[in-house]
Amino acid sequence: MAENDELNIFTDDLLNQLHDKAKNKVDYWDIRAGVSNGNTIEFSDEKSKEITSYLLTGCSIRTFIDGGWGFNVLKKLSKKHLLDEFVKTIKMAKFSSSLCKFKYPIKERNALTQNFKVNSKRNLEDVDLSEKIEMVKEHESIASNYSKLIKNTRTIYLDSQVDLLFLDTFGSKVKQELEILRLFSSVYAQNKGIIQNGTNSVGGVGGFEVMNTEKALSLSKKSSEQAINLLNAKSPIGGSFSVILDSKLTGVFIHEALGHACEADLVLNKESILTEKIGEKIAIEDVSVVDDPRFGQGEKFNLPYELFGSYFIDEEGTPAQKTIIIKNGILQSFIHSLETASRMNVAPNGHGRANSNSSKPQVRMGFTYLEPKDWDLEEMIADTKNGILCEDFQYGYTDPTTGNFQFKCRISTNIENGEKKENLRDVSFGGMTLDVLNKISAIGNENTFNYSDGICGKGGQGIRVCDGGPYIRIDNLTVGGLN
Amino acid sequence: MENDVDIYQLATHGFNNLNKFESTLKCAELFFGVSEYLNIEIEENSIKNIEKGSDEGVSIRAIGRNGSLGFSFTNRLNNQSIDLMVENSIKMMRSGTKDSEFIDIPQPIDSYPKVKDLYDENVQSLTIDDSIDYVTELIRICDEDEMAISQSANFAASTSKNIILNTNGVKVEGEETICSVSSHIIVKDKLKDRTSNGFEYQSERFLKNINPTLVINTALNKAKQNLNRIKIKSMRSPIILTPRGVISLILKPIASAINAEAFQYKRTFLVDKRNEKIGSDLITIEDNGLINGAVGSANFDAEGVPCQNTKIIDNGVFLNQGLLHNSYTAGKEGVESTGNASRQSYSSTPSIGISNFILSPGKIGKNELIEDIKEGILLDYTGDRPNLSTGDFSGLILHGNIIENGEIGPALNETMIGINLLELFKKIEHVSSEYKTYGSYQAPYLQVNDIQIIGSHN
Repeated sequence: MAENDELNIFTDDLLNQLHDKAKNKVDYWDIRAGVSNGNTIEFSDEKSKEITSYLLTGCSIRTFIDGGWGFNVLKKLSKKHLLDEFVKTIKMAKFSSSLCKFKYPIKERNALTQNFKVNSKRNLEDVDLSEKIEMVKEHESIASNYSKLIKNTRTIYLDSQVDLLFLDTFGSKVKQELEILRLFSSVYAQNKGIIQNGTNSVGGVGGFEVMNTEKALSLSKKSSEQAINLLNAKSPIGGSFSVILDSKLTGVFIHEALGHACEADLVLNKESILTEKIGEKIAIEDVSVVDDPRFGQGEKFNLPYELFGSYFIDEEGTPAQKTIIIKNGILQSFIHSLETASRMNVAPNGHGRANSNSSKPQVRMGFTYLEPKDWDLEEMIADTKNGILCEDFQYGYTDPTTGNFQFKCRISTNIENGEKKENLRDVSFGGMTLDVLNKISAIGNENTFNYSDGICGKGGQGIRVCDGGPYIRIDNLTVGGLN
Repeated sequence: MENDVDIYQLATHGFNNLNKFESTLKCAELFFGVSEYLNIEIEENSIKNIEKGSDEGVSIRAIGRNGSLGFSFTNRLNNQSIDLMVENSIKMMRSGTKDSEFIDIPQPIDSYPKVKDLYDENVQSLTIDDSIDYVTELIRICDEDEMAISQSANFAASTSKNIILNTNGVKVEGEETICSVSSHIIVKDKLKDRTSNGFEYQSERFLKNINPTLVINTALNKAKQNLNRIKIKSMRSPIILTPRGVISLILKPIASAINAEAFQYKRTFLVDKRNEKIGSDLITIEDNGLINGAVGSANFDAEGVPCQNTKIIDNGVFLNQGLLHNSYTAGKEGVESTGNASRQSYSSTPSIGISNFILSPGKIGKNELIEDIKEGILLDYTGDRPNLSTGDFSGLILHGNIIENGEIGPALNETMIGINLLELFKKIEHVSSEYKTYGSYQAPYLQVNDIQIIGSHN
């Protein structure tokens, strides 16, 4: 990339100067710098709404002295500015340290020196803008022509090429070249005064091949199908039901209701229901949960690219790794940043993530999922007397302090005496995490396992994540309704 | 604010360059944004992180003679990058399709509103040392409270400057400041081993209006009020919505539903309802961008159109002119823009956003409302949002309490409410005289009768 010359300021000479300035003054520091460029293409009703091209440079400095942090986002990248601001950021950590109550050292680790480039089959720079636009137009055309009841379509394509540099106290120097793509499709259908919406997205780390898989190619058709099916769906009746969750909703449950409570910053802040629960049985024995954001998992799902939530290192230079959160119902470990791992005296496990160079790392998930077991989906449905099969989700949230969670599904189906009946819309269900982890009455097999990707928000930052699992059934779940 | 870049020189350079494309270019706009912020963060009731940052950048919106929009942005403010952005915006514009609904970007006008108190010099000169005073009070109160066990909180202050120039001759420059304080507090009843939390925040234009003591005490009260939780049976009952409840259940959905873009695409439940009575006589809502010192106020919007006061709902009637427009949606409908173009920063094209969105207060005291309820629900917060196309709402009451014989009782566990918003609007019986402002929203307490509550107690 021609535009990344700005990163060339980080010469050995500059690095030596930084190490000199930090020596004996600061316990830990890191610098993240990056150059990114990309396109956004938005169409609605087969017309272009906006076609965007951007070029951004970002750099931030983080310093740490005995429990206190300083963080400084720079508006430009030059040697002099960087050195001046580096000194200011050390002062910020010093001030922060003088006021903080919790004193601790950052765990030392080996310097990591590596150049990493994601394996793209078709690099974005080799793909002409017109090809991207044609792809978006095709999706718009599929959606618009799906049915006469489709009244409004929207397709958004986003891509970015990112060159990143990570430096730290220990002498780490990691260069990364990534390409990240996402496609979003939203379709509105209308009939007899009823408006319904279908929304889907697909994302991946890799080249333009991300857009050429069956998963991506069928995206707008899937949104159209959803919107049309929902036109005839009924509002649910509230009450207590056996609820079967599809892999997407299982993933959301594992991410929202359990995963957030495993974030060690919330644990330290006494905001998590799982504080002091390591080693305890918190779920039925069949429940095993992991977070594995490592690259190399696309193949499992027959995808020629890396999963959207995957990464090489987190934003603190810790390599992505597999973490077992729950094994056979017993809580094994939390997910950590450098800070929480240092405070809780465990090894950092690669979850200090930030959404850009201008945001500071927080404890965040990567690819969190529930391990499959042995139920067939058909078997699970046939075994359910009075229940609801819930598929796809609109949104969900959890109060990690109490474990009270709530999810809204997109499309659901009534189950009566083991048989699927009419479609329902806007089914929402809620419960208490620790209660529900013990009310799971069936966990699907490998064939029912899948994952989905999206953007997770916390502390004002949206981060790319994946979650997943098999279909599961939960008994006696509270379902909300209008009637 | 240190400013070593001559923005007007860059703008001239950009427009000279854009002029070369006159044959295909209908109009263009340069939007410059410069900002700085400071943030002091508390975790585990201790100062943990001191953060500062700055950003500056420019975007170019180029619109072709066929109405096609090309957009480019960068944070590299120099002539060379401007050249690249001009080139890119033209390339993007030429790749787009015809849009016959595009009319024009804004025209210059003679005089803009003169809203007062949008900029506080004290924010600009604020040092890290001075900022600490705003959080020490938060830490002290949490430390001294017997039930409080932890707190996440922050104090933030920022300044920003926007400069908008377009080929029609619009040339505006505005500066504003925002400061805010938030407290998320965890309390524990050690005897009963119960934990709960409460959240409160305040944002203001002026530092002197920031009141950390009030913020943390409100968060603390909410946390305590939320501590003793019970499950209830399903029932139909009156509910009292707190200002925060009104914002999430009524104001935010209405603000989204009267966004002219969503409206024109017929995506909202208020489509076909203009000039109709959609709710109780007691609801009057306006979007007023001209209130001195208010967080949502400005002299001009993100395209340089003057801000104004737009009446949305008058005594329950959804007014014909009650939509919020930017220049694009206004052009499409053949009306004037309401000055509601909104941008997160230079990196986005103008969408539509509220200024100060206000539900007018009523006459009755909120305590009187609560005192008159035999059996009901106080609803402060639900993380849910309604289905905007249907207006259907069903959600979990995250922070809410039972009201019994005129008194606020235990908090609710696993309790949900379900209703269509239009039905909710009609069932509003009382509006309180007390109101609260959260950022760009202002709301009173409301009493709504005969609402379906779904409990999980068998």
